[in-house]
Amino acid sequence: MSILGKERKADWEVVYEGVNGLMDLYSEDPDSKGMNAILKGFRSYVDDLFGAADEGRPIVWHNCGCTPELIKGLEGVQSMPIEVLTVLQDLVGDAQYTVALIDEAEAHGLASEVCSIDKAAVGSVLSGLYPEPTCMLYHNTPCDSQIAAIKTMRALTGKPMRMMDVPYLYGDREVEYLARQMAESIPFLEEHTGRRFNWDRFRQVCEESNRTAEYLRDWNDLRRHVPCPQVSKIVALSTALLVAFSGDPEGTAVARAFRDEARERIERSESAVEGGEIYRAVWYQDPVWWDLQFYDWMEAELKLVIPMDLFGYYAPEALIDTSTPESMLRGLARKSLRVLPMSRQFKGPIDNFIDDYLKMCDEYGADFGIFAGHVACKHGLGGIGLFREASREAGVPLLYFEFDMFDPRVTPVETIQAEIANFIEVVVKPGKELSGAAR
Amino acid sequence: MSKNEILGIMHSAIQKPRNAYLDEWMGEGRRVMGYYCSYVPEEIFTAAGLLPYRLRGAGSDSSADGDAYMSARICTFVRHTVSLALRGELDFLDGVVLAQNCDHIRRAADLFRKKVRPAFYGFLSIPRVPKERLFDWYLAELRRLKAEMEAHYSIAITEQNLEDAIALHNATRQRIARLYELRKREAPPITGQEALTVTVAAHVMPRAQFNSLMDHLLADLEQARGNGDYRARVIVTGGVMDEPEYLAAIENQGALSVAELVCFGQRSFGDPIGSRPGEPLERIARQRFFQVPCARMVECFDEQFSELTRRMKEYKADGIIFQRMKFCDPWAGDGHNLYWRMKEAGIPFLSLEREYQVSAAGQVKTRVQAFMEQMGK
Repeated sequence: MSILGKERKADWEVVYEGVNGLMDLYSEDPDSKGMNAILKGFRSYVDDLFGAADEGRPIVWHNCGCTPELIKGLEGVQSMPIEVLTVLQDLVGDAQYTVALIDEAEAHGLASEVCSIDKAAVGSVLSGLYPEPTCMLYHNTPCDSQIAAIKTMRALTGKPMRMMDVPYLYGDREVEYLARQMAESIPFLEEHTGRRFNWDRFRQVCEESNRTAEYLRDWNDLRRHVPCPQVSKIVALSTALLVAFSGDPEGTAVARAFRDEARERIERSESAVEGGEIYRAVWYQDPVWWDLQFYDWMEAELKLVIPMDLFGYYAPEALIDTSTPESMLRGLARKSLRVLPMSRQFKGPIDNFIDDYLKMCDEYGADFGIFAGHVACKHGLGGIGLFREASREAGVPLLYFEFDMFDPRVTPVETIQAEIANFIEVVVKPGKELSGAAR
Repeated sequence: MSKNEILGIMHSAIQKPRNAYLDEWMGEGRRVMGYYCSYVPEEIFTAAGLLPYRLRGAGSDSSADGDAYMSARICTFVRHTVSLALRGELDFLDGVVLAQNCDHIRRAADLFRKKVRPAFYGFLSIPRVPKERLFDWYLAELRRLKAEMEAHYSIAITEQNLEDAIALHNATRQRIARLYELRKREAPPITGQEALTVTVAAHVMPRAQFNSLMDHLLADLEQARGNGDYRARVIVTGGVMDEPEYLAAIENQGALSVAELVCFGQRSFGDPIGSRPGEPLERIARQRFFQVPCARMVECFDEQFSELTRRMKEYKADGIIFQRMKFCDPWAGDGHNLYWRMKEAGIPFLSLEREYQVSAAGQVKTRVQAFMEQMGK
């Protein structure tokens, strides 16, 4: 299958074919508004990326800790998250392509403990799958593994790179610090892309970002409804939306579709779980990207729904004040530090991480929590003891297991399924029965 | 005192969390401050009258207590230090100053704060890009720490206190530099294992006494004939390394370590702090922030590489042995990049992955022997 009329590397064509195939499957389904919107968004993103490459427009790489609004402030510049191909392969393509890229990076000498998404990104560069960047702009978040990959990419491409330093703790002083670095990054972007940064354009981008944020905030609220109106797997997609589409009308369209679908299904009294949900859990840490059908299995077999996960959670304070250049930079910095999932929870003290979790369990009426420990998330796994203690004190049963969110070889899906099914049977179900009897 | 006597004293000082010098210091009613990393400047503690004590896992025979709170994916260095703290074996500390050096230590900091609960808990948010544009943030962090320490201990850390601390720590730097200078000889009078014993001891002893011992040691070494009985000269680099036994496993194969550019090695000291320009805290901050960068830092790989190649020439090294603690991500990226840059430059390079307190002598022996053959030694 060609992309924009040209043959591309097989890895990209598989993704494109997958997106189109899924769109054919879902387009007639009135209950798949959210899924359709994000699929359309993915296809449009791939078109934009290859369009920019074909037209010789500047492409700036960034990472998942850094939403693209600042880059979009430059006319005609295409942003590209370094995780894009892996995410698309796992969501709509074929995870075996990701596995091959992971192996390629390891064979090149990158340590196996580095995060699989970062290894796959390095593998993508080694395989020449990514359009060449004019420069790279990163945040040092969410983790050290990403920093290792970024440094590797800098070494492999030799392209100019700038890192914005995300500090520890997120008070106003930290917001100012990051905002100042954003301002200082503008000349860097201008120099290497050859394009002028346009403050009016940036304002429009921020306004678009705000529209997306408002829909996501409403959508977060709607998913608290009992029964949960929408399928579980959709929450995992929210971060992909933010990283690829922040400040883009496509992002607003996806967020609106998420919101509308949830609202309409509530109006029709529809549940995500056929036959009615029995259990609700907050999924914390990382989604099973390589098999989103896994969530369908939980709903069908266990009557378990995930109303919210770490990746879907959209904290308040996302709105950017667009009144002045300074307020926009400050607003974007605040969003990066205090709102963006993973950046919000992973760079400061463990308390941010635990408090968000317990708040989610409370607000979304969770019967229990699932700490799906991605093996490379050392900042999460390093806090598991405190996390368990806090869960115990709050009386929220917690299931903990380790797996790899982009590499199905580490923990097979059957093992994860057995862990969850067993936990429900042994811990959650008796607990629910007891509390029901007490009532 | 002879070399062997001094090395014996230093060897004893680094075997367990406490040592005789530390006990004597505390016996006089003086305080001790723990910290993990060289981006936390020791001079501030010295200026406040506290002994800077770099956290290590020495003497920990089990990481079980740390394992209860941290996954096995957290490096064993961190899990052992946390275990010591959770078991109360670091209770002699009057405080700790930690930082987000890496994801592992950041979570160790949470455990210190919430479970160990030292009398004073300080935290530095240290930028990860050692460029002038972020220096003022780092300096502001040090000012904040100084103010917090002054308030907690009801003391004033004066400019003169800081100048005195600079002088004391510069005296250590000068002695370490002299020690390393001697290692450039064809027949170095000290092995890598011994030199690392010295630099580790510097981190857990009162500096005045350490400096005094160093004077005796240097006097002895300067007259010594040295040992030219080795097959190759290597520089050992990478992350945390405070286990001289590990270097012994390397050196037993005939690869003499002539410099250790590791945490606890030469990298932790750097050049002396100048007497101007600027006020003392700013000069301290500048020396630490712009030290030879470690892997946590970004936008500075070329500087790291240049430092290594410069030392290769200075120390007439035949190759580089890179060691990395398993699960350490920052060094995983740099390990990859160093490998390819060294290959491009035609410099022999061996990469070793290790666990804390496990010498894995068999594996090291095989790898180092193969490396020697690769170098034609």
